[in-house]
Amino acid sequence: MRSAWFFYRKEMLEMTRSYKLLWIPVVFIILGIMQPISAYYMPEILKMSGDVPPGMLELYKLPGAAETMAKSLGQYGMVGLLVLALSAMNSFAGEREGGTAELVLARPLTPLAAASAKWLAQLTLLALSLGLGAACAAYYTVRLIGGLSWSAVLEASALYGLWLLCVVSFTLLFSACLRAPAAAFLSLAAAAGLALLHTLLPRPLRWSPAALPQLSVEALMQQGATAYAWVFPVLSGIALIVLCFLGASLLFGRNKLPRF
Amino acid sequence: MPPLLQVSGLHKVFHGQTSVDGISFDMEQGRCVALLGPNGAGKTTTLRMLAGLLSPSRGSILFDGKPIGKDYRKQIGYLPQSPSFYNWMTGEEYMHFASRLSGMGRKEAAGRAAAMLERMGLEDAAKRRIGGYSGGMKQRLGLAQALVHAPRLLLLDEPVSALDPIGRREIMDLLREFGRETSVIFSTHVLHDAEEVCDDIIMMNRGRIAEHGTLSSLRVKYNRPVITLRVEERKAALQWLESFSTRSFILESRRDVDGSMLLKVEDMESARSVILREAAERGIPLLRFEAGSLSLEDVFMEAVGG
Repeated sequence: MRSAWFFYRKEMLEMTRSYKLLWIPVVFIILGIMQPISAYYMPEILKMSGDVPPGMLELYKLPGAAETMAKSLGQYGMVGLLVLALSAMNSFAGEREGGTAELVLARPLTPLAAASAKWLAQLTLLALSLGLGAACAAYYTVRLIGGLSWSAVLEASALYGLWLLCVVSFTLLFSACLRAPAAAFLSLAAAAGLALLHTLLPRPLRWSPAALPQLSVEALMQQGATAYAWVFPVLSGIALIVLCFLGASLLFGRNKLPRF
Repeated sequence: MPPLLQVSGLHKVFHGQTSVDGISFDMEQGRCVALLGPNGAGKTTTLRMLAGLLSPSRGSILFDGKPIGKDYRKQIGYLPQSPSFYNWMTGEEYMHFASRLSGMGRKEAAGRAAAMLERMGLEDAAKRRIGGYSGGMKQRLGLAQALVHAPRLLLLDEPVSALDPIGRREIMDLLREFGRETSVIFSTHVLHDAEEVCDDIIMMNRGRIAEHGTLSSLRVKYNRPVITLRVEERKAALQWLESFSTRSFILESRRDVDGSMLLKVEDMESARSVILREAAERGIPLLRFEAGSLSLEDVFMEAVGG
């Protein structure tokens, strides 16, 4: 497991040198603060665009703090997810197709250790981006709109983060056996598929990890319909992540060499 | 004590296509073995199986009499055909990373990494990004990372094939130097490289071992007398040349592309006198007559059935 630590340090150094550790958190921060800022300045923006019927501006009501925060997190489900999937797609595929995997795996590094290091590195990136993004979004929401319960923000971010981690784990799984673009596409398609299934059959699929975004919104609104509704989605999300991780290390062990 | 490496009945099948078809050989500690063969002979696949990167479809590899496992990886150094490194790392960082992965402590890793870089003549480039290295420098870095943990067996896949003559010279000199300290298996399709540094030669063709032996034993085994004849392009002379394919004292005859005839003979003395007498009697316009023995290149061509 010591080799996993060295590999993790290498992954983090790679993320730093490729500026991933800088620009992905910046994207998350921008996505997060855009929501409260645009909600607060909406009347001004409308005024500047002219042609607003009189009385319209008076009708504009500032959305609630919890609603704004939920919308901020919702941004991460679209653009944020795309950014994360694109940044993780090369994780295994790049090492395999580039030939660097052949050199490091001839050393005592096991595929399981390499996969743990890669997964942990992606988790670090996700936690950093989501943490900074959500903190900035909450700060601007509190400043411009109104009070938020910090524990609710933390809970909602954690639930949303788990869903994002599910999709990142999908990307890692596909990256271990397919080329990078295919891995990104398939993982996003899998996420969309899970979300769609959950919208179509919300009751039978209450336990699915795709319920996590909805639960995160409910956590913010403090309207938890049923207590402990989060238990099964969280458990199934963790199970999905573990399966993806084990699958990725197994597949990476079988696909160490470039495909021909 | 068992041999360092025992390979028996190694098979590898890719998508129904046999790439390595039953290879067996033993290797003693301290030897240098060349895997020689044309492209597609299965050399790379064999080396990847020896490096533990591919699992054989059938057959076994024993190192020190034991099946290869995780411990084995600490004792081998591997250099693939065209090594790729993390281009964003410096040479020094990569060496350090590689030695830590092989289980060395921080101080030991730093010391060995610096020593190997210096020995490879890379000390000036140590703090530069690998992305800016030349092909020869990358190959030397590849050799450095394969040797940094003092492996007992060095596996090199075509270490000089992609290099210019100067880079080739450098690597061959380094190989000769390290060949004295450790056991080496390297693959090549250039016979001259094998002759230069190796003790043993394994000739491979179509996934099988075509010939295996020490350099000197192969020379002795294939030391057959050969006569090379060339005549002017005249009908009678060419007919005379053709007639050799049916003579009893000729073991084998072959026309070369330049029109000369290669004759493998049983007994040089009698064959020479017969040929020269006939040529004189018939007034054959001889251009060339040469009596010699097979070169290793011919041995190779013969062994792989070229």
